[in-house]
Amino acid sequence: MIKASLRGLLQRKLRLALAVIAIVLSVGFLSGSMVLSDTLNARFAGLFATINENVAVQVQPTKESDNGERVLLSAAELEKMSKVDGVDKASGEVSGQGVVPFQSDTGDEVTTQTTIAAGTDGRDPLGLVELREGDWPHSADEVAISANTAKLAKVKRGEQLKIFVPQLGEPKNYRVSGIVGYSGGRDSLAGEALILFELGHAQEMFYGKRDVFANASFSAKDGVTHEELKKRIEAQLPAGFKALTGEEVTEQQSNVLGDQFSVFQIILTAFAIIAAFVGIFLIYNTFNIIVAQRSRELALLRAMGAGWGQVVGSVMLEALIVGGVGATLGLALGAGVGALVERMLTSGIGLGIESAGIVLSPWAVLWSYAMGILVTVIAAFVPAIKASSVPPVAAMREVVRPDKSLVGLTITGSCFLVPGLALVALPLLASVPQSTLILAAGLGLVFIGVMLLSPMLAKPVVRLLGYLVGWGQAGKLGVRNSLRNPRRTAVTAISLMIGVTLISAAATVTESFKTSLENDIGRYDVAIIVLGPNTAPPDGRTGYNPTAMDKVSQLPGVTDVASWHITLNGALGGQPYPGLAATDVAVAQRMWKMETIEGRLGKLSPNEFVIDDNLAKDRGWKVGEKVKVRIEAVERDYTLVGIYKATPTVSGPLLAEAAVDDFAGGLAYQGFVSVSQGTDVAATVASVDKIMSDYPGVTVGDMSAFLKQFNQIFDFLLRAITFLLGVALIIALLGILNTLLLSIVERTRELGLVRAIGLSRGAVVRMVGVESILIAVFGCLLGLVVGVGSGAALSQALIEADFMTTIVLPWTNLIAYVVTAILFGVFAAVVPALRAAFLNVLDAIAYE
Amino acid sequence: MSAAARAVDVWKVYGVGEAQVIALRGVSLEVERGKFTAIMGPSGSGKSTLMHCLAGLDSVTRGQVMIGEAMVTGLSDAGLTKLRREKVGFIFQQFNLLPTLTAEENILLPLAIAGRKPDQEWYQTVINTVGLADRLSHRPSQLSGGQQQRVACARALASRPEVIFADEPTGNLDSRSGADILSFLRRSVSEYGQTIVMVTHDANAASYADRVVFLGDGRIVDELHSPTAEAVLDKIKSLDLTVGAPE
Repeated sequence: MIKASLRGLLQRKLRLALAVIAIVLSVGFLSGSMVLSDTLNARFAGLFATINENVAVQVQPTKESDNGERVLLSAAELEKMSKVDGVDKASGEVSGQGVVPFQSDTGDEVTTQTTIAAGTDGRDPLGLVELREGDWPHSADEVAISANTAKLAKVKRGEQLKIFVPQLGEPKNYRVSGIVGYSGGRDSLAGEALILFELGHAQEMFYGKRDVFANASFSAKDGVTHEELKKRIEAQLPAGFKALTGEEVTEQQSNVLGDQFSVFQIILTAFAIIAAFVGIFLIYNTFNIIVAQRSRELALLRAMGAGWGQVVGSVMLEALIVGGVGATLGLALGAGVGALVERMLTSGIGLGIESAGIVLSPWAVLWSYAMGILVTVIAAFVPAIKASSVPPVAAMREVVRPDKSLVGLTITGSCFLVPGLALVALPLLASVPQSTLILAAGLGLVFIGVMLLSPMLAKPVVRLLGYLVGWGQAGKLGVRNSLRNPRRTAVTAISLMIGVTLISAAATVTESFKTSLENDIGRYDVAIIVLGPNTAPPDGRTGYNPTAMDKVSQLPGVTDVASWHITLNGALGGQPYPGLAATDVAVAQRMWKMETIEGRLGKLSPNEFVIDDNLAKDRGWKVGEKVKVRIEAVERDYTLVGIYKATPTVSGPLLAEAAVDDFAGGLAYQGFVSVSQGTDVAATVASVDKIMSDYPGVTVGDMSAFLKQFNQIFDFLLRAITFLLGVALIIALLGILNTLLLSIVERTRELGLVRAIGLSRGAVVRMVGVESILIAVFGCLLGLVVGVGSGAALSQALIEADFMTTIVLPWTNLIAYVVTAILFGVFAAVVPALRAAFLNVLDAIAYE
Repeated sequence: MSAAARAVDVWKVYGVGEAQVIALRGVSLEVERGKFTAIMGPSGSGKSTLMHCLAGLDSVTRGQVMIGEAMVTGLSDAGLTKLRREKVGFIFQQFNLLPTLTAEENILLPLAIAGRKPDQEWYQTVINTVGLADRLSHRPSQLSGGQQQRVACARALASRPEVIFADEPTGNLDSRSGADILSFLRRSVSEYGQTIVMVTHDANAASYADRVVFLGDGRIVDELHSPTAEAVLDKIKSLDLTVGAPE
């Protein structure tokens, strides 16, 4: 039995090739993303292992407490721990974020992935860096920098280096007292910049007081293991701190860095699953058709006494082999592509870290095989059951097996579709809790419903489409052929529908969002926007000094300026609220045409704040409500004095300007400028840009420029989604190709006949082409309807949340999708059509 | 009166070297217009090959084939397609109807392919003759074998081709249905002047023809005019042609 199915497999290897390719593509996607992240992590681990080479134990604060207070290590505590038996050397670390050096010639910021800013007392007990020339910094006006920093900033020892420190708010000039390097003569570890300040100066700048450290590292005396030393130090730990071995620190650090890329892996995995899902349909069709073609052979096996289970088993064995072969090839493809992308990524962002080689983890192998085999087994299950139900008598004569009725499928489909539509409508018509979840569930049900109803829909829709493309007799025959097996046509079309649904939903939301924003922004009296750097989350330590806005207000034509201080480290009414803003609400009201719903807007006194209507509704707050507002570690009682109408541009809590005192720094993150009519906006932007040039990462642009930038981001996202779904679409294309090829084998005799009675080769090509285009366009239309519908529903939900104002259908994109579907149809038809056209007429007629 | 189809010294060789098979060895045959010609012979005698060559379905190795005034030999695929479309009708042992089309659509398919309008009067005559008037909207799967073959006959007749080639048309039918088909073919020759060439191994079927041509080992070995079934059987015996099973 096994031998029989293996031999059969070999004979059908061409027909199974496309099924294998579908597996290869989806498994390749999955394993590629895993190899990418594993290889990347290994590379990072290598970097941090070097950094922590001499670290036996590190003492660091336990997870930052909820109230945002920063725990520091005092010099006395460090001293006490360094006396622990077994400690060789101890080093307290002082470091600050957001420090940026400027280039000496152009005055522009130095652009690197990171700048490490630390304090040093002229010793480096753990020997990570060594002085190459000059001296350590000895005063508040001196810094030592790494050789790489010197190169990037184009400065030499003894020269002045302009450095921005967020806590100071303004750039300051330092004399470069010395140049340092890393062991092994390296200028940097990974292309980063390193600035070492005098220890006391650094402590004052970063922590506001001397003799405190962020954490401490210890090396061990000979014969003391890291674990042992960790235990001994733990006995002396101050409150709020924990001890880790050097190895644990390496793991922790590389995980933190790796996590930045994990979003990447999650997205790729999601697309791999979509691709696999599409593949299921292709493989299902393949096995279904193969089983139909083999029914005589299967019946013979049954007649000779093969059991029900043996027949199912033989089909499933075939599926397992297809899945296994596909997974193996997919794994190889994924490893290659993953490693390639990893190399491109790391060199693209200037990470000069040595590669640790391609990492193929056991998990990647396991998941690849699990996916490949699971997909084929799921797909082949129904065909296998169908194979086992071939009656033995079919071996002797043609057994007419009528088309199964679509009634059951249609009823089941309606059972999904109707409640699905109800669930989608519910949150849009009434206000209910968990509306996003309900909407998503509804859309899911609608999707499944349409999938199940597609065989029923195939007939009317394809017939209608047939009037458009089914020209001439060949065209009519093509239309008939695509109608003869609605299930097969539907299953083939669904694989295309999946991708098109997702793409067109994304396109609809994107287009609606872009148009909403454009309409909304045009209403406001804001000409120029100043934006803080996107390198670190805003907390008052990134952005620009608001005094710079005073200079802006002096520029000709400027009528209004506003600085917005934003922090992500805050809480509102006891719940963390990332995105508290403090600004002059009177100016904001003017500029953004804010509409008062309740209470008052305008100039706020300290400890007053306003919120938008959605938030007010959400929290159930009324004007006059006392609300606890926490910024960093400080919690105060604020009074809600006004509620304003939310718009896509302005929403959320706005605090009185006085709140800035509680921020981690005094820098403003966003600024807005209004100008009088007839002002040269471009010239004003240039002037503002010049004023802001001292603040690293701050960008200045006029409204239209920002809008354009915004639109570009959206367009890019949409393109990225389309590109990633491309794999799913290619599998769908293969699915159409596959169905056509198998159908042609099945209809060999008919092809012979129509050729014999005078259908030309060209007409045969047209006939197959029409069938292919119909399947593709049918799938595309299903996808467009469901996708645009979902996109519109999502947009409507966003409109209700005041994120958007209007729904716009992306007509250009939609037309492009239909054209692409037609091209897909043409493309998929090429090989099958030529095959059909060049069949030998005589052999075809005599084909059994 | 010129021949409806003609083979002149036709040779057909398959394969090369050791595997070479010579199917036809210099066959010359004129198919008379308005006559029912049967080709008989045992398996491997070359009768099917001869018909395929005459019909333009297969190429000849040497010699010439003509249908009416048109030279078949040497035509390109497009030329052959056009020729088949305009001048030839086919009836196969396996009926070969398109399952997606109704009986009526199957009958009119060759005309539709050629882009010609059916002659309504003739079409009515054909469907009345084959007795299918009440089955026209049925699909092939809803018809019996005999009915399907009658649809196939009507299809061949509908375009009034120069020649109809029938390849064992009764091979898959019971004797009753077979007799129906044969008398129908006979009538279309006698009453409407249709030219038919039929390959068969059945002496009874051959007895419906005006002329029976006997093939043996790739050559025409004899022929009979206005045969009876007995005469055909006698001839087969005298020629020592063992009639094989249908191919």
